[in-house]
Amino acid sequence: MSPLHFSFYSAFTFSSLGLAFHRTHLISALLCLESMMLSMFIPLSMWPVQNQTPSFTITPILMLAFSACEAGTGLAMLVASTRTHGSDHLHNLNLLQC
Amino acid sequence: MTYFVIFLGVCFMLGTLAVASNPSPYYGVVGLVLASVVGCGWLVNLGVSFISLVLFMIYLGGMLVVFVYSVSLAADPYPEAWGSWRVVVYGLGFVLVVCVGVVLGGFVDFWKVGVVTVDSGGVSFVRFDFSGVAVFYSCGVGLFLVAGWGLLLVLFVVLELVRGLSRGAIRAV
Repeated sequence: MSPLHFSFYSAFTFSSLGLAFHRTHLISALLCLESMMLSMFIPLSMWPVQNQTPSFTITPILMLAFSACEAGTGLAMLVASTRTHGSDHLHNLNLLQC
Repeated sequence: MTYFVIFLGVCFMLGTLAVASNPSPYYGVVGLVLASVVGCGWLVNLGVSFISLVLFMIYLGGMLVVFVYSVSLAADPYPEAWGSWRVVVYGLGFVLVVCVGVVLGGFVDFWKVGVVTVDSGGVSFVRFDFSGVAVFYSCGVGLFLVAGWGLLLVLFVVLELVRGLSRGAIRAV
C-alpha cells in the first residue's frame, strides 16, 4: 500500500470509527460525517490524475455538491433537536426506549 | 518533495484523528480545518490546483463556516480540553484499529509514491482539471441539472425541518 493510499484509508477509518462511537453531541457525529466526505474527496480527485482520465474530475465536484446537501440537512436536524429538547445531546433522542 | 507530500498525508490522518477523538465539537472543527487545509496542499502538490481551490472555497469557506456557527449554537459552555484521559484512550483505540487493519491487509511496497504530471491533455494544452470540470457543463449537463435540482430541493428540506410545526417559522432558540 503506498503511503498516500494509506493516508486516506486510515483517515476514512478514523472518521467512520468516530461516527460509530458517538458520545455526547449530535454535532460530533455530523463532524465525523464531514471528515468522511473530505477523506473521500481527496482520493476521488487523485484517481483521475493517476489514471490520466480528465473526464472523471467531475466526480469530486458532484460529490461536494451532494455532501453540501447532506451537511445542510444534518444541521437542520441539529437545529430542530435543539429547539425541541433544548440541546443536541444524543440521550435526548430516546423514543426507542432501549 | 516526496517527503513533504508524505508529511501532508500524515497531517491529514492526524486531522481526522482529531475529529474522531474530539473532547468537544470546538476541537473537532479545528481538526477538520487542519485536515482540509492539508488536503488542499496535497492536491496542489499533485498538480490539480483547481480542484484544491474548489475544496478551499466550497468546503472551508462555505460548509465549515456553517458548521462553526452550528457548533456555537449547540456545544457546551464549558468544554473539556485535549488533556483528558478519555481523549487519549479514544485516539489510541482508533490508531490500534487502523494498525490491525493494515497488518491484516498486507503492507506491501510501502515506499512507492507514484504521481504523474498533469499539465497537458491532448493537442489543445488545457489544464487537466479545468478540462475535466468543463465536461460537467458540456457532455454532463444532465448530471449538472440533477445536482442543481437536488441543491434547490435541499433548501426546501431545510426550511421544513426547522419550521417548528405550528409554532411559526422564526423562533428564539
